[in-house]
Amino acid sequence: QATVLKISHQFPGGTLEEGDFRDRLCRMFAAEVQKRTKGALKFEIYPGSSLMKTNAQFSAMRKGALDLSLVPLSYAGGEVPEVNIGLMPGLVPSYEVGAAWKNAEVGKELNRLLLDKGIVVVSWIWQAGGVASRTKAVVDPDDVKGMKIRGGSREVDLVLKAAGAAVVSLPSNEIYAAMQTGAMDAAMTSSTSLMSFRLEEVSKYLTSGRGQSYWYMFEPLMMSKAIFDKLSKEQQATIMAVGAELEAFATKAAKQDDALVATVYEKKGAKVVDLNAATVKKWQAIAKATAWKDYADRNESCAKLMKMAEKLL
Amino acid sequence: MSHGFELEPPKGPPIPDNPAVAAIARVLNAINELIVKVSMVAMLLTALVLTYSVVMRYLFKVPTDWQDEASVFMLIGVSFFSGAYVQSYRGHIGIEFLSTVLPPSVNRVRLIMVDVVSGAFCAFFSWKSWTLFHEAWVDGQTTTSTFAPPLWIPYGMMALGMSLLSLQILTQVLAAITVSKVAPVAAGRPA
Amino acid sequence: MSPLTLGVLYGVVTLLVMFSGMSIAFALGVVATGFMYFFMPAASLDTITQNVYEEMASITLLSIPLFILKGAAIGKSPAGRDLYSAIHAWLHKVPGGLGIANVFACAMFAAMAGSSPATCSAIGSAGIPEMRRRGYSPGFAAGIIAAGGTLGILLPPSITMILYAVASEQSLGRLFLAGIGPGLLLVVLFSGYAVYRARHEYQLALAAYQQGGVKSAYLDEEHFTLRQKVEMLPRVLPFVILLIGVMVALYGGYATPSETAGLGALLAMVLIAIVYRVWRPKDIAPFIASTIKESTMLLFIIGMSLLYSYVMSYLHISQSAAQFVVDLHLSKWLLLSVILMMVVVFGFFLPPVSIILMMCPIILPPLRAAGFDLIWFGVVMTIVMEMGLIHPPVGLNIFVIKNIASDIPLRDIVMGVLPFLLLMLVAVILLCLMPQIATAFPDALMGVK
Ligand code: NA
Ligand code: NA
Repeated sequence: QATVLKISHQFPGGTLEEGDFRDRLCRMFAAEVQKRTKGALKFEIYPGSSLMKTNAQFSAMRKGALDLSLVPLSYAGGEVPEVNIGLMPGLVPSYEVGAAWKNAEVGKELNRLLLDKGIVVVSWIWQAGGVASRTKAVVDPDDVKGMKIRGGSREVDLVLKAAGAAVVSLPSNEIYAAMQTGAMDAAMTSSTSLMSFRLEEVSKYLTSGRGQSYWYMFEPLMMSKAIFDKLSKEQQATIMAVGAELEAFATKAAKQDDALVATVYEKKGAKVVDLNAATVKKWQAIAKATAWKDYADRNESCAKLMKMAEKLL
Repeated sequence: MSHGFELEPPKGPPIPDNPAVAAIARVLNAINELIVKVSMVAMLLTALVLTYSVVMRYLFKVPTDWQDEASVFMLIGVSFFSGAYVQSYRGHIGIEFLSTVLPPSVNRVRLIMVDVVSGAFCAFFSWKSWTLFHEAWVDGQTTTSTFAPPLWIPYGMMALGMSLLSLQILTQVLAAITVSKVAPVAAGRPA
Repeated sequence: MSPLTLGVLYGVVTLLVMFSGMSIAFALGVVATGFMYFFMPAASLDTITQNVYEEMASITLLSIPLFILKGAAIGKSPAGRDLYSAIHAWLHKVPGGLGIANVFACAMFAAMAGSSPATCSAIGSAGIPEMRRRGYSPGFAAGIIAAGGTLGILLPPSITMILYAVASEQSLGRLFLAGIGPGLLLVVLFSGYAVYRARHEYQLALAAYQQGGVKSAYLDEEHFTLRQKVEMLPRVLPFVILLIGVMVALYGGYATPSETAGLGALLAMVLIAIVYRVWRPKDIAPFIASTIKESTMLLFIIGMSLLYSYVMSYLHISQSAAQFVVDLHLSKWLLLSVILMMVVVFGFFLPPVSIILMMCPIILPPLRAAGFDLIWFGVVMTIVMEMGLIHPPVGLNIFVIKNIASDIPLRDIVMGVLPFLLLMLVAVILLCLMPQIATAFPDALMGVK
């Protein structure tokens, strides 16, 4: 009797070989775990929020109503404030620093905290992002003065506001239309989403996340602890092992997308700009005074996590 | 109905025969009337808030980051709180196919059964909404935006609204059970 | 139980519960919760309220009440009557002229709203009584509005096209443009039918009168001098201002699509306050109250149908059905036909949003492999899903009309809608024969893919 586990995510669906890498990762994970458990564990993958809304996933996993999900951790920030650290501008300045989290103090503490909330982190995935703009290239913080821009999270919005932007809040499915008409000048999101939203069609500038960026998002593959605990020790070990093995694939694919997004935008005639260490430092300075402080001031546990994360810088 | 332009307010929902049930119904009707008045204001306010958002962003380049969520909360409140009001007029539409086919006595039992099941569902939904409200309250949950308003507000409105709706259906069931004489075809329902 | 057997059971139980006379919203909720209890982990029951909340707490969905308010402000105040009098004065010589005007009004409203029931309600609240006052049969009047309302998601902006664009990884701009041609085609087909049907009803009315029956309003001899006609034109002005104001705000980049809903509602209220002095609480309360009633009814159905489709998705019903069809390895056009038929069947119960989310990940790859242009298919699928909005048992537009004109029996509405369903089928066939109807416009503006 095979156990069927459901994996839900919000990204476009594809196949093992093709499509959004986050969907591919889920499929590779499913195939490999099924193979190694000789079919004792099987998976159903629900791409594109076809099972439930993005924001419902985390809570459903905590309650044991959903088995697995690949989702930006900071989306659960309203429920568990500590997880906002998963999208903290400037706190992770490279894939290397992101990768170091898992086995560093900060990763262990985050892991413990999530376990406590009923969540098992299976695969540690980081992804860089950039800015698509229709009016001007966003490199320095000064560039966003007066721009109508969507940051997409509390922490990013705080930084943008401090830099003088008119922050816009609107649902992600309205980004394209708002950029097309000019209701919005720019949007900040992951490299892969910059492509899947097709923003290249309505943008003239891209700030790419290749090489240097201040925007890294933690979007792990997670599992419900209630469900995880019901599996045999062997099955649990297989899940954790396959999850860890796929981290290398994720980093490679994320970096490929950082490069690919630049090509896609260039092809459409957009001007692509890159960040350098100095510009990243400028953003970091603003973030430190706003988002980092705002986060650390929330509670002791947040302050502790922030301190641990800063040690990796 | 609806031939011309009726600008006069609609008449109230039917009052049950049984005096005790009628008293409950009157209280509920009064609550519903009040809720509709508040909902009207909330709706106009929502339109104002969204317009304000456009004006501020366009003319003054001021960030507009709370208007969407404020609007969502107000409209969630309007929708759930008005559920009972709509039910009091039997405004939640269904397929009234059997009412023309079945004899009146069978119909009466069918309607009561249908209401009992609907009421049970709404009561279950209310219970689960209160649990959700409790979780959000205890954990201090908020939305994920910069504005980050607490989630107990919409959850609480959902829970209260659904509870009121359950109570409304219960009253209608009681009214149907205690009816003094059976009215011809589908009492109190639009055909 | 296999997902497909479970699916059949789900459908049958739903039909039984709905035909028992339970309100559609509660029926969907009861069936979903029941199946959750029997076939899903116990923890699922703890998540139903959050699932419903997360689905409903989107400003895109919640802009529906505001769009309805905008329509009601014009439609249920003297502004609507004046507007229709003016249209009637100019068009009364054209058979079915008022019907055509309503189809156009729906198309114009559709260009501002992203939802079909909102379009239906906005135009229908004045359109249906006005058509009936001039002799149109209730079913015909209802059919025009129900069908015209479906343009809401075919003409941009459109909630469902946004979802489709993401699911299919196609350009939203291109998809929006691709909806315009078929939207206009439907406008032409609906208008053509309006002329035919109005003529037919006129002849029937004439025959009945000549045999000594009652005189239908169709037969009222009316004459308007050019001067009278011209004098009526200013009455159209508030409507034109509203239309232009909202269009400029939306397409000029001043407002986001959801903000447009609030802006439009406010503008409509301001206009009737200035032009018709309708501003006192007792003047505006009735139509705000009716807006609340209608949108609450609608949002309850939408909220519960999202819960219903969550259960369907969890039990893998729709996915297994789609996979089953895909695994048959049918020839190109057969594949398309079977898939579209499946969309129709799901349309019995589900709103377009859910159909897209559950089916697209499975049906799009084989359709792409079979050589179909996914932009073109998105438009075809939208039209087929629109058919679901106007056919029973769950047809949101039908419920809206039942609410606007509660004295029209459901049977008359369904019969009135039937010819329009056929016309939409014709549109789908025409689109298969001439894909350019959809693709020419985006190709011209954005270059050939
Ligand atoms: Na539209
Ligand atoms: Na339907």
